[in-house]
Amino acid sequence: CEKFLDVNDDPNNPVNQNLPLSAKLPAALLSTVNQEAIQLNQLGSFWGGYWGTNSEGINQYFKEKTYDGPSIRHQRDGIPIWENGFQNLLYYQLIKEQGQAEGAGYYSGISKIMQGWTFLRLVDIYNNIPFDDALQGTKFPTPRYEGGQVVYQKSINLITDGINEVKAAGTDATIARADIIFNGSKQLWAKFGNTIKLRALIRQSQTNNQAYIAAEIQKIQAEGSGYLELNQNATLKPGYENTAGKINPFWETYYRNVQGATTAAYDNLRPTSFLIDQYKMRNDPRMAKIYQAVAGDYKGVLFGNPTASAEYNRAATSALRGPQENGNAAAGLLKSALQPLVLMGSFESLFLQAEAAQRGWIAGSAKTFYEQGIQASFTYNEVPTASFAAYNAQPSVDFDQATDKISAIITQKWLSLNSINGIEAWSDYRRLGLPAIPNSLGAPSPAARPLRLMYPESERQTNNAEASRQGGDQVTVDKVWWNN
Amino acid sequence: QKMTIKGKVIDAEQKPLAGASVFVAGKNESVYTDKDGEFSIAANSGDKLSVAYVGYKRQTILLTSSSNNIRVILENEENQLAELVVTGALGIKRSARELGTSTQTIKDDYLNQGKTINPLTGLTSKVSGLRVNMYDSKVDPQIQIVMRGSRSLNRTKNEPIYVLDGVPVPTIGRINPNDIEEITVLKGANAAALYGSEGVNGAIMITTKQGAKGRGRVTFSNTTTFSKVMMLPPAQNTFGQGVNGAYVATQYESWGPAFDGTMKNFGSVLPDGSQPQALYAAPTKDNRLDLFDTGLNMQNDLSFSGGDDKSTYFLSVQDVTIKGIIPEDESRRTGARFNGTRKFGKLNTSYNVNYVLFNKNTTPDGPWITAYQLPANFDFTTMRNWQDKNSTANPAHFFTDQQKNPYFQIDNYRDDTRQQTLNGKIELDYQFTPWFKALYRFGYYSTIAETRSTVGKFEGIGQRNVNGSVNDGSDNFRKVNSDLILNFNKDFGKFTTRLLLGQNLRSDYTKAHNLSSANLLFSDLFNQGSALGQLAGRSAITKFRSLATYGEFTAGYNNYLFLTLTGRNDWVSTLSKENRSYFYPGVSTSFVFSEAISSLKNSKQLSFGKIYASYNKTGNNTLNPYSLNNPYSQANGFPFGNLVGFLPGSTFPNPDIEPEFVTSYEAGIQLGLFNNRLNFEGAYVFSDSKGQIFNATTSRATGYASARVNAGRLTNSVVELNLNGDIIRNANFKWNLGFNYTYINNQVKELFEGLESFNIFRQSYANIGQAYPSLQVSDYKRDPDGNVIINASNGNPVVATDPVHLGTMVPPHQMGLNTMVTYKNLSLGAQFDWRMGGWLYSEIVPRMYTAGTHPATVEFNRQPFIYPNSVIETSPGVFVPNTSVLSRGDKAFWQAQGAVQSNTAAKSDFFKMRELNVTYNLPAKLLAKQNVIKEARVSFIANNLFLIRHKDNTYGDPEYLYNDTDGYISFRQVPPYRTFGFNVNVVF
Repeated sequence: CEKFLDVNDDPNNPVNQNLPLSAKLPAALLSTVNQEAIQLNQLGSFWGGYWGTNSEGINQYFKEKTYDGPSIRHQRDGIPIWENGFQNLLYYQLIKEQGQAEGAGYYSGISKIMQGWTFLRLVDIYNNIPFDDALQGTKFPTPRYEGGQVVYQKSINLITDGINEVKAAGTDATIARADIIFNGSKQLWAKFGNTIKLRALIRQSQTNNQAYIAAEIQKIQAEGSGYLELNQNATLKPGYENTAGKINPFWETYYRNVQGATTAAYDNLRPTSFLIDQYKMRNDPRMAKIYQAVAGDYKGVLFGNPTASAEYNRAATSALRGPQENGNAAAGLLKSALQPLVLMGSFESLFLQAEAAQRGWIAGSAKTFYEQGIQASFTYNEVPTASFAAYNAQPSVDFDQATDKISAIITQKWLSLNSINGIEAWSDYRRLGLPAIPNSLGAPSPAARPLRLMYPESERQTNNAEASRQGGDQVTVDKVWWNN
Repeated sequence: QKMTIKGKVIDAEQKPLAGASVFVAGKNESVYTDKDGEFSIAANSGDKLSVAYVGYKRQTILLTSSSNNIRVILENEENQLAELVVTGALGIKRSARELGTSTQTIKDDYLNQGKTINPLTGLTSKVSGLRVNMYDSKVDPQIQIVMRGSRSLNRTKNEPIYVLDGVPVPTIGRINPNDIEEITVLKGANAAALYGSEGVNGAIMITTKQGAKGRGRVTFSNTTTFSKVMMLPPAQNTFGQGVNGAYVATQYESWGPAFDGTMKNFGSVLPDGSQPQALYAAPTKDNRLDLFDTGLNMQNDLSFSGGDDKSTYFLSVQDVTIKGIIPEDESRRTGARFNGTRKFGKLNTSYNVNYVLFNKNTTPDGPWITAYQLPANFDFTTMRNWQDKNSTANPAHFFTDQQKNPYFQIDNYRDDTRQQTLNGKIELDYQFTPWFKALYRFGYYSTIAETRSTVGKFEGIGQRNVNGSVNDGSDNFRKVNSDLILNFNKDFGKFTTRLLLGQNLRSDYTKAHNLSSANLLFSDLFNQGSALGQLAGRSAITKFRSLATYGEFTAGYNNYLFLTLTGRNDWVSTLSKENRSYFYPGVSTSFVFSEAISSLKNSKQLSFGKIYASYNKTGNNTLNPYSLNNPYSQANGFPFGNLVGFLPGSTFPNPDIEPEFVTSYEAGIQLGLFNNRLNFEGAYVFSDSKGQIFNATTSRATGYASARVNAGRLTNSVVELNLNGDIIRNANFKWNLGFNYTYINNQVKELFEGLESFNIFRQSYANIGQAYPSLQVSDYKRDPDGNVIINASNGNPVVATDPVHLGTMVPPHQMGLNTMVTYKNLSLGAQFDWRMGGWLYSEIVPRMYTAGTHPATVEFNRQPFIYPNSVIETSPGVFVPNTSVLSRGDKAFWQAQGAVQSNTAAKSDFFKMRELNVTYNLPAKLLAKQNVIKEARVSFIANNLFLIRHKDNTYGDPEYLYNDTDGYISFRQVPPYRTFGFNVNVVF
């Protein structure tokens, strides 16, 4: 009788206890980078001034172009940033708990750093979110929200802990393979952690929070590893394969499917005229690497344009350039179906350092960081190193000639993050109003800009009392805490 | 010696009875009486002549050589209720008078009145307490059944157990309805106590036909009906395709200018250099209807039955062909059944086997989702020939690349299923002594389903390209059920006792696997071997097992007072070792007061009267196998080479889940009045389910989308009334009217961890103090008078942060009305259904707002307008009427309004004529002239002839829901349709 009933062990799937940490971490990292490079980058690329749609795609990405908060938060047809973010946080939570139980410092440390990254992201998008109560299953079925600033501080502390745990970790034979970002390099994880913290501190530049910022910079300096340097990119290299579902997802979403047919996003998305103008204004060699010329010229679209004029037709505007249009050589953004997926480029780190140096927060020359940032971006976009000098000498680029140094840094940062990390561009615009991105022509009113997302419908359905306690919840009215 | 017997049939009041059937037992001779009640039949001396008429006791007369001009006086069939025998739990027949619970039996003719394909459809609105919903299942009619309200917050676990000839089976939707002798509905856990957990929602007991001793009987029947789309969500027809008020030849959304009656370019230039054009004018009819075909349903049935002293047989074959309302959708069900019995001395054996082959070929939901979004002047009739390379119907040149030609979708996207069901049983019944009998019953049920989904490769530019794909699946299920039942009977003077002891074993096994490729090389070769890239596929094995012992003790006094005690212990495989054994008891009593109280005996008004009451507690386990742990799986492309990556599931597991317990109380009364011309039954039921096992949707911030918990309490107070009476009953004319009413007050009492509200599925909730499931949707921010508040800077209505609660998604009031009028050989039956008090939510409408096809989007002629009755909040809490701020009335505005869910919810009240049936029985006189055909009848039948809905519900048929949900209409489902046609039935 006992034996007859003992059939409840799952023959189809492993459970937690069956799996080593090395079988879990790669999936968690990939899930985070996918969310960053596709879901978040896409929204940010619209709201950060990079992307619009051509006339054929006029009805696509409509909720993004009209800042339609209720449609974005919609459970079924919306953009589940909250849901995916907390799911990723859970993956790291389970790895962290197992890592701590097994004394596997690499795994628990990396999980803390990645959790810090993700919590910061969610604050940037939703402001107040659960932190202490989060990720505990049924222990806190309606997790309490904490202020965005508090979550920022707790996330920075979490990353600090994570860096320390990684550095203190003993030899682990599995980590080099399982860590598909830095292959188990303690130094790079420390630098990466510090760079995330620097990003979080720079974000607070307008908050009059100087003492806190200084103290945290001090901690980074004391730690001593520094930040991601020239060509130290945080990219994901799982070993992409040329078969459906295993291709680099940026490629598969924005360029070609496995059969080589162009995708809907490739057909409908175009750079904004504003972006093209910025490149042209600086004779930027990156433009020709990233985009295709149309009748000898480069042509963008107007974001949110409600009318479908022939001028902005698919065939009349510049699509992304890929190897097929580039003599089978790697182009600026589209290099190969197997290219690594970017989580954070060294160019971003360098521009963050440039801004920090310019603000006097860290030692070093803002000009040097600025120039290195441009060089790193050139390298990433397959622009020959030799073109840098001429480019840099132009009055529109030369740091020394810039009257507003912060504006110069942010503008070059914006050019380097094009289509790679749109959320950072949107956040810089929210923080500093730089660069002067034109508003969507589909905005509800000319002055209305997207400032944050509404809490998702799923949260309204399951944790409404907490969500309601956070006050206003409108996309174009309510701000995140650092956005003064 | 053959002679001609003449006679007359009269009732007790000497009135002639026309249409009574007169036949010679065991012979092929049968006639009907004429209008004077007279008959004439050939027979031999020594034959037995039987006379039967509905509502009267059958009379049998032994013929002698001197028999002629006989007068047969038929007595009213008294005390029908008193003598009723019903099929109780475990398939054991018992006298209805001893039941302390509520049951209802539907006989085959009533069940099959509408000639339905799924037998359960025949129960709709005929049984109080039972809610049957048809839902969209295209050419495979499926239904949702909930008895006496929801007991579980787990919305898939409110179905009763189906028992086919004593054997529990997972579904009976594919059974041939003509094989069914009767369906007995055991309402609620009390009636189905011996089934334990599985019977917690009641039981539907199907008894199939058996042959009878005597001459063989052959029945043939053909039913042919047609299906027509009944309604589509309404669409506007004043504005056509384009963007922001301007015509665009390649955009499908209806945001262009108003129709102006001109010819306009339609799509791009074709390969031959011609520019297709279309008339830009409102069509005179709803063009979308052109996409839908007239469906055809054809049933052919043939059965043979008969038997001798020791054995009986029943053999049937059926073929059902359905052509759907979607072009090319079709299904075919072919089945055969053999039922037999055989006696070997004290051993009775019975056995049956049923095989059903079901094929289905359909297209997924694309074509009609597209149709709802295309402009009103889109001419479907010109789009059929998509293969024409020089046509705008061709996918390479379809007028827009943002949608696909619906006919291309129909041809190119196919789902094919081939399912074989085999089930049967063997039953051995041995009478050891007059007071002890043992019964063993073994049942087997298996399905083998092969599925294939294909998408034809179409090489095109960009979005016009379609990757070819194939996914082959195989899904095997088998279920073994074994019952050993010992039955002891003993009478002590006026006391009768019966003890029943049983043991049950159940084992379910499922194995499913699939193999797919998303990148086929050839457009007409669907094989994984001819593909690019890696194949995908997996397999899953599921096992469930349970054991149970149960007992029932019934004591009766003087055949009018009864007491029944039940107890059952279950052991199930899906719970932890600590929690998997659980016991639960029940008690019920019944009292036939019309026989116990001497003054009521022989009462003219009261023929039968019984009151009953019961208490029952049932342990229930709704947990699926392997639910105590969180399973990990590889996704997002893993494994990459030798790099694996596993992610946990999104449900928080709980290894300590315990069984839930449902306590229910029931009391009722059954009355037969005026010589049983009027029957009344009323019942009150209260059920209380505690410690519910359910998958609670949780805040994603918990890390999980849901949590498996043992919490929550639901109560149901149910009132059921049944009234059935013959308003007119005489020889030529009979009018029967039946009415049933159910009121269910369902309330959520407790939820997990003191929470007030739990999200169940999208917009449906369990809220404390309210019915489950409740519809809760987003709404506008409103002033205290309910006026919509407008954002003064841009004219957009402000969306409220908190959702608004509308009401229950299950109608608490259900009424069924059926009537049957028989005049001589002609009869007319009709079935009406009325449900009130529920809400529904439509998912079609938001998409139609976005596409500009919804009528609301043209209400203000696409011009800026002042939102009706809107206000502006000038300072917190101060509202002034809005007289100047204009809302834009463009796509951005209307898309945002479509996302406000209160705009797409409505009350689901309806009144519907569900079935109409007009039957003509060929007169006996006509048939008397030949020897081949015994009975013949023709019927006209129709379903869903008319429907009255709540005025706010423009979305669809409130009963015709999406995929087994409560109150949820989706764009994925095909539109509701009505059917009508005819049936011919001949008995040889």
